[in-house]
Amino acid sequence: MLRIPDLSLVSNRLRLIALCVFILSLQGCAVMKNIQDKFRHVTSHPDKEIEKIDFPVAKGEDVIGRLAVVRLEKGDTLPDIARHFGLGINAISAANPGVDVWVPEAGERIILPLSFILPDAPRKGLVVNLATMRLFHFKGDGTSMVVSTYPVGVGTEERPTPTGQMRVARKATRPTWHVPASIAADHRKKGDILPAEVPPGPKNPLGEYALYLSKSGYLIHGTNKPASIGLQATNGCMRLYPENVKKLFNDTPVNTPVAIVNQPYLIGQRNGVLYMEAHTPLENSDAGELEKMHAKLRTIEKKSAGTLDWKKVKEVQSEARGIPVPILAMRQGSETEAPEPLEVEHPDALYGRPEIPELKLKAWYVLAADVRDEIEARRLAAIINHQGPQIPARVIARDSGFRVLAGPFNDAGEAGDAVKRLKYDLDIDGIVIDPARKRQASPLPGTAHRTERR
Amino acid sequence: MKKGLLLISLLLVFPITMIGCATTSELEKVEAQQKLIDAKADQALQDAQAAKAAADAAKLKADDATARAENAEKAAMERERIADEKAKKADAAFQKSMKK
Repeated sequence: MLRIPDLSLVSNRLRLIALCVFILSLQGCAVMKNIQDKFRHVTSHPDKEIEKIDFPVAKGEDVIGRLAVVRLEKGDTLPDIARHFGLGINAISAANPGVDVWVPEAGERIILPLSFILPDAPRKGLVVNLATMRLFHFKGDGTSMVVSTYPVGVGTEERPTPTGQMRVARKATRPTWHVPASIAADHRKKGDILPAEVPPGPKNPLGEYALYLSKSGYLIHGTNKPASIGLQATNGCMRLYPENVKKLFNDTPVNTPVAIVNQPYLIGQRNGVLYMEAHTPLENSDAGELEKMHAKLRTIEKKSAGTLDWKKVKEVQSEARGIPVPILAMRQGSETEAPEPLEVEHPDALYGRPEIPELKLKAWYVLAADVRDEIEARRLAAIINHQGPQIPARVIARDSGFRVLAGPFNDAGEAGDAVKRLKYDLDIDGIVIDPARKRQASPLPGTAHRTERR
Repeated sequence: MKKGLLLISLLLVFPITMIGCATTSELEKVEAQQKLIDAKADQALQDAQAAKAAADAAKLKADDATARAENAEKAAMERERIADEKAKKADAAFQKSMKK
């Protein structure tokens, strides 16, 4: 007798098998994902390169770039790392609080804040945010926009960079610096007599390229002091690293609009997540900036489905690390966890790092300091090395302490010039070491016989 | 009659003598015990005094160590403060030197 199977039973069994297969396959996916994650974690190597200047800007998005980390090597300084990765000294210091700028520990992991929230300004031409000390050059139209961004040095508290709308009036390569009367007077007070104009060359603070703005007397230019990028050190101009100003100069036609804003608190969106970036406001910042940002956040919170974590907002604001931090998911399913920074390989050579020539017996030197503490000596040598133009300096270890020796110099004139600069710029009384007398130290006329720093 | 009295007297004297003997030996025993206890007390006192002296010395040592640790901490903090100050001073000088 032919047995007719119960079709409903078969169907139930099939359903059960299918369900089991489905569950197992899901498990398999999860397991694979774990394995892949682990594999990625175990075998991940630091990336060789990271984008630091040019970034695409997606429509409706305000956050560009990505955070990265690099492990320091012996002899690194934060200004050297900053320059290599297209950052200012302000940005790298704020992102890495507590790290010694000049003598950081080898092996320390340094955050490279290469993610930026675009300033709240029309995305056209050049936009400079004084508070973040960054220039943004917008290129292309609304459909495919690219932004190039560079760190800048800006005006001091006494001579601030003006905000407002202007344009590039003209451009010049190898500009001559016509010394303003106020700067000449400042130098005269220190006993340094400046000429009426400084021709192109290593002593010219404008560097090799200059963009003259429509607001008279204000320029975007290069520099002979690259370590000043990310500082309030100019007389109102904006200075860029030499390698950056060259690119900006070539990319920027005359009449390009220039907007200068001062926004220490930035908010923007990326992938349905609201980010906030806070910087320490400049001394002359508008006190209402914080209130403006809070008002914006309240409006956004009302419109969105989520609730804003105001404690986090306050934390980001008080820490002021200059890093975009996710604070609110604007869409359901958006991830508000901060993305992992990219591990970047330490480059073989840091771009623009000051080189120290080898010691030569028949050269002139300047003894800049004689101290007991090694860190102090290394810090001073690094600061002297980062002067513009560079004064090469090294630390010589002795039984009783450490000496900071500037040089080698070819002749007495070069050594004397270094002594003057050490005195005018760093208030150091250097002692010239004459190669003919080898171990005898002879001070230059007019300099004190001591090596302490004042 | 006399004999009877003598016997009675003897009967009385013997126990009394026996009691006296017993009291003397016990007294000696007590005295010896007292001496022993006294010696033990002396020892205990000495031990206690020694322990107190040791404790006092240890306390002094601990106080001294605490004071030294506090001083070392203060000195370290002072060194750190001086180093921080020097670093800040150096940074300020550097920032000034970066002006035109």
